Parts: sequence; structure tokens; C-alpha cells
Amino acid sequence: MIHAYRNNGYNIVLDVNSGSVHVVDDIVFDLTGPVEEALTARFGSGDITAPDAEGYDDSVLCTELVSELSGKNPELVSKYGSDDLKDAISDILELRRSEVLYTDDVYENYVEEFKERDTVVKALCLNIAHDCNLRCKYCFADEGEYHGRRALMTEEVGKAALDFLIKNSGGRRNLEVDFFGGEPLLNWDVVKKIVEYGRSIEKEHDKNFRFTLTTNGTLLNDEILEFANKEMGNIVLSIDGRKEVNDKMRPMRGGQGTYDQIVPKFQKVAESRHQLRYFVRGTFTHNNLDFCEDVKHLADLGFKQISVEPVVAKPEDWYAIKDEDIPYLCEQYDELAKFYLQRHKEGKGFNFFHFNIDLEGGPCVAKRLSGCGSGCEYLGVTPWGDLYPCHQFVGNEDFIMGNVFDGITRPDIRKMFKESNVYSRPECQKCFARYYCSGGCAANAYNFNGDINTTYQTGCELQRKRIECAIMIKAALAE
Amino acid sequence: MKHVKTLATRNLKESMKKGGCGECQTSCQSACKTSCTVGNQSCEQATK
Repeated sequence: MIHAYRNNGYNIVLDVNSGSVHVVDDIVFDLTGPVEEALTARFGSGDITAPDAEGYDDSVLCTELVSELSGKNPELVSKYGSDDLKDAISDILELRRSEVLYTDDVYENYVEEFKERDTVVKALCLNIAHDCNLRCKYCFADEGEYHGRRALMTEEVGKAALDFLIKNSGGRRNLEVDFFGGEPLLNWDVVKKIVEYGRSIEKEHDKNFRFTLTTNGTLLNDEILEFANKEMGNIVLSIDGRKEVNDKMRPMRGGQGTYDQIVPKFQKVAESRHQLRYFVRGTFTHNNLDFCEDVKHLADLGFKQISVEPVVAKPEDWYAIKDEDIPYLCEQYDELAKFYLQRHKEGKGFNFFHFNIDLEGGPCVAKRLSGCGSGCEYLGVTPWGDLYPCHQFVGNEDFIMGNVFDGITRPDIRKMFKESNVYSRPECQKCFARYYCSGGCAANAYNFNGDINTTYQTGCELQRKRIECAIMIKAALAE
Repeated sequence: MKHVKTLATRNLKESMKKGGCGECQTSCQSACKTSCTVGNQSCEQATK
């Protein structure tokens, strides 16, 4: 399977199953589809390992393909001439011979075996406060309350959560703990006590806690920042971008905007962390489809780690992204990719979370295909200690999996999540992006379709576009 | 090759040989937590 696309003047051919990326000229770009079709007609697959292809001489095959394609696609001959055609097909067959083009998906059985492994819990999202001092219009957490009661996590529950994590983490040393909400700074003393407890027990268990904090920033002060810089591996700072955009969707309880008070605080956080290990994170909605302007604004404010992401909302919500918005949003990603490159070339580069892609490193194929880890390796914890598959499921009591005191009492839910991967989602089979999204978000799939083994199509459309841009950026930076 | 420039990438098929240790972080499409998107995640084996 290949995915060939043009972006920002680059012709890119992604060999989906090997992960190889080829930047090609027009003639190869025009030929990759027809050649794959011709190979599949002959061998049942374009893959070099297709049974009938073994031992087939490439020079003979090349001559035959030129002849065949000249008959079927005479416009290619008139456009490029038969010599260039032969030359280009020869290059294509060389890529195929090197198993970096037209490769087959050989991973399904392998991932099925991988799925059977004993999983351990690696990460917890602690909903330290089901309460918030803001009234963000799009809050999936129901303005902090998660469709339930207002509550703060106690020190006892927090400590029990860390004990549960250690007990269920097997031999894994690094353990992630997110302080999430609502607004975690409304319960800051308990955050500090949980961190201190974690530090006091990690050595004896040969563990290393990586704590992180997600905050709206309004309550940040120097004392909190000092503690966070010492203890938090990452800090996520919520801001949507331009003042009018941010203040429309992220007001205080009384309706006042938050932009003016959070921007200087966030700039201080970013500088104090040497522009590393943090993200300013915004949400765009139907009301600011020109979100590229918000990213530019955040970059102009001096932030180097930026994420601005599409809202996930019910279709009837007034701010929900609509299907007809998608083409414009894709143009925005294109514009953003150009801006991103321009800033890098000027020495004023920044990272955009959804353009971050590691082609040379990155995880193995087992990880890429086996899902995000929610429900088995990653769990959400409510203030009173209930366990959910992830923070996005909190509040839907059908998904309570147990609690931090008694452990997992619903192994059937864990099994359902563990078995959910790229191959359990039919839509992923024909999608080129599956090795970069791991099948997408189970919570989105459930919320839109009532089944975690489905896909949220609006999210998928935007994800594919982001991956195309991210790969194009790699091609441009490689020049 | 005259017509093609191939970028350096990790070969996914090769990654079957030493992969699957399960040591990597969980992943999320959103930066609302610390996890990376899958495509950008560090392989714990590479960082050892």
C-alpha cells in the first residue's frame, strides 16, 4: 500500500507498511499508482515477496511494464517520452526490490500475539480536582465536575493511587502520573503531598515517577512554579491563542476574560523551564477555524512548544466542527506548515505538537498498531479513587473498572481495551495513517459511535492532513 | 537514483525483530497530557 500526495511543491510517496518516505519527481509520482496496479494484476500484490514474483528479472519486468503502460496510458508516453518512462520504472522497481515500496501488511498475526502479553499499568491520570474556577464553553469535563459532584482528591486517595500504580507496574521503572482536573491548582497542597509521598517511596521500589501538571494558569504563583519546575517533568498550559478567541471560550466564572492574566505567567513558566518540557495548549472550534492565526500569535508571544487542537464536541453543540469545515481546516494546516518552515529557516523555530513526527526513530510496529494504552496501561482516577479507562471516560459509570483501594474489579473492561487496536477497527485497514495514530482515540470512537472499535471520522480527516504536513516538513528540512 | 530521494526512516518490518518489549510510554493524540503522539514517541530501547 502506498500513499502518494503533493504538498507545498513536494511529491511524496509514503510506503505505508515499511514506513519509507520517498520524495519523487513528477514522472515517478505519476507512475507509482499505475505500476502498483500492473504489479498487482500480475502477482496479486505489488510486494516483492508476492509468491509469483520470486526470481522475476527486473530488467525484463521493466521492459514489459513500459510496453504495458504505454498501451494503457498513452498520455504518459507523450508527456515524458519512453526513455524517461523506462528510467523511472527502473527506479520504482529498485525501490520495490529493496522492500521500501509496495510492501504488504505482514503485522496482523504479530500484533495479535503482542496483544496477548501481560500488560502492566504505566501511567495514571489523577483528577485531583473535580472543580474549576473557569467556565470554558467547550469543557468535556462539564466545567470540572464530569457530570457528577464537585470534589477534591484527598491525600489518602492520592497516596493509594501511587501504591496501586507501583503494585500493578511489574518491572517497569518509569511511571507517569498526570495531575489533571478540573483545575489541579485548586487542590495544590494535596498535589504537593502526593509528589512528596511518591519521592519517599520510589527508591525502595526501584521506580521513578514522572509527574506532570495540566493547568489553566490563573492560580499560578512563584511558589507553585518553583515546586513544579523541580518536580514536574512536563507542564501543559491552557490558552487558545488570540485574546478575543481565548476570552470568548475560556472566561472566569464571572465572565471576565483570562488572557491578560495568564499570558505573562505562561511566558514566565516557559522561560523558567528554558523553553523545554512544557506545552501551551489551545483548542480551536467552529468559531476560530482560522486557528493558524492563533498558533502564529502564540509563536509571536515567544512560546516554543505549541499545541492547538480541534475541539471534540457533539454535532449539535454551537461550537462543534462541522464536516463542511474540514477543507478550510486542511488549508489552515497547509498554511501553518509553511509558516512553521519559514520560522525554522529564520532561526525562530517552534515545535507544533501535531507536526512532531520521528521518522528515523519512533516506536516499533507493535506499539504503533496496538493502541494508545487506555484501559490497560493507562487509567484515569477520580477524586474518590474510582478507576476509568482514561480521563475522557470519567463520568460514564458503565466504564468504572475498580478503584485504587481494591484494584481492578472489572477485568472484562480491561480485556476489551487491550484487544482494541488497528486491526479491530475496519476503517483503519484502508488508511495510510494507521502507523502514526495507532487507531485513534477510543473515547472519541465511543462518544460518536458507541463502540471503541470504530473511528471518529472528522478527527481522522484532520489527523491524515496533519501527518501529510508533518512528513512534508521532514522532506523540506532534509534539503 | 535519478528520480527519487528517500528519507531516512525506521524500517517498520525490521522493528518486529527487536520490538514489542512494551517499555514505551502510553500515547495520546492530545497534548492535554504528557504523552506523545505515537509517531513521535521515543523507543525506550533507543534511549537505554
